Amino acid sequence: MEKLKIEVAGIEFKNPIVIASGPAGFGDEFFKYVSPSTIGGFTTKTVTPQPKDGNPPPRLVYTKGGLLNSIGLQNPGVDTFVREVAPNLPKETVRIISIGGENAQDFLEVGQKVEEFADMIEINLSCPNVREGGTISSNEKLSSEILFACSYSLSKPLIAKLSPDGDILKQAEVALKNGIKIVNVGNSLQGAKFNINDGKPFLKRVVGGLSGPALLPITLWKVYQVKAMFPQLEIIGLGGVNNPKDVLECAIAGASLVSMGTHAMIDPEGIDDFILKTEKLLEERKVSFKELVGCSHRGGYR
Amino acid sequence: MEADVKAMKYSSRKEYFLLSFEYDEKDKVEPGQFFRLKTPTGPYIARPYSVYDFEDGVLTFLIKSGGEFEEHLKTSKKIIFDGPLGNAIPSLDNPLLIAGGVGYAPLHFYAKRNKSHLIVGSKDEELFNLVDIPPASVYTVEPTTALDVAKHSPTTNIIACGPIKMLSRAKEMFRDRNLFLILEEKMACGRGMCEGCAVMTSDGVKFVCKDGPTFSAKEVNLNWRN
Repeated sequence: MEKLKIEVAGIEFKNPIVIASGPAGFGDEFFKYVSPSTIGGFTTKTVTPQPKDGNPPPRLVYTKGGLLNSIGLQNPGVDTFVREVAPNLPKETVRIISIGGENAQDFLEVGQKVEEFADMIEINLSCPNVREGGTISSNEKLSSEILFACSYSLSKPLIAKLSPDGDILKQAEVALKNGIKIVNVGNSLQGAKFNINDGKPFLKRVVGGLSGPALLPITLWKVYQVKAMFPQLEIIGLGGVNNPKDVLECAIAGASLVSMGTHAMIDPEGIDDFILKTEKLLEERKVSFKELVGCSHRGGYR
Repeated sequence: MEADVKAMKYSSRKEYFLLSFEYDEKDKVEPGQFFRLKTPTGPYIARPYSVYDFEDGVLTFLIKSGGEFEEHLKTSKKIIFDGPLGNAIPSLDNPLLIAGGVGYAPLHFYAKRNKSHLIVGSKDEELFNLVDIPPASVYTVEPTTALDVAKHSPTTNIIACGPIKMLSRAKEMFRDRNLFLILEEKMACGRGMCEGCAVMTSDGVKFVCKDGPTFSAKEVNLNWRN
């Protein structure tokens, strides 16, 4: 597995596969099917200051080649999380705790409470399913306040989770200006579906987050753009990854880590094999994952 | 796991079909449990279906036509499946079973294995040209619904499965009985990870896949959905 190893912000990953926040919950069910020693990192569901019931059903709409979700950050709240969930997160993988809230104070409260249980902290600025008036990432001032407060007060490596719906370069610039060194590009893409039998939207909030294989080229283009403009940023590529080849493509575009959400959720038993096949692809090409990162910006394989 | 399609039998106007394939883990499938099904070509998210029958190593599912899964079945004769998932319907003493439409699937399986009385309702007669109905059961076609028939029953133990409006009405109608509801929601993982199939209960949010699909009517708040 030597070819898969990579270090990001001083944290060693045995491989670049990071389970995305959301689809695998807090891991209690997921780790019945997947050994934590297999995956590079695991991101928890987003934790907020207070418990959240999440959105009323329907929460899912099937789409061709994907899935539209409106879960709404259901979580037990930070105090229960710290008491009952965080101590049990497996140490055999990099533990990334995703934090959320409405403002800088919320993010700080959650961040400070979870920090001792995390190897890294993901600042979720881009959930499409909770805020009226758009994602936090669509509000530059609010994003800046949150990122600055977290950078100033938290000591673990921080990841800003950006939205594929907004100007990704602007969001990355805001992150960088506020002391963030790692960005996740990105979240599910906002979308809607309507029922032709009653003329209403399927989802009560109308909008949901689209995931699935069709997103991959969007992810690759955004990763590429961010790496080209801000080579000093480490990037986690997320969106549409469902095949070991996709992992290599994300790295070639500029991602240091590659995140999987929907695919890991629908085929958890297949993850071991997925990682083995990723390594095989690297061996066949006689390159390490680390060497691939951003190589399209350097003229490809040399 | 993978299996070849053994049979795909349509109703007369092709509104419904029964899909069968072989499954050799005989003792592990209980009425009320479901499987996630797709074909090698799709859909991307496997669809959850309650078991309609399991006999002699053959699993059968009752499916309403028109979905993406059926489209893929037209060209692919292989099934990729995951299951059994979810919990069994609780064992009750001689319950009344009330089914609406394809909600008949789990109750058909239950009725085959347990002594019970069955009332099945459907929007049209076509369903009854396809499914088998145990002797001494009642079946009815709209405008008379299964609940219209069931309301005269004095039975204490009742299990209902069908459209959400039917379940809400059953909950109201049988509020003083021991009523269980088999719920349906869109699912992605089928194992309680994705939190897509949420249902509000007296004990907070639970999930149809992991905690159900059968719930005590007293426990669930169906208004959260509507």
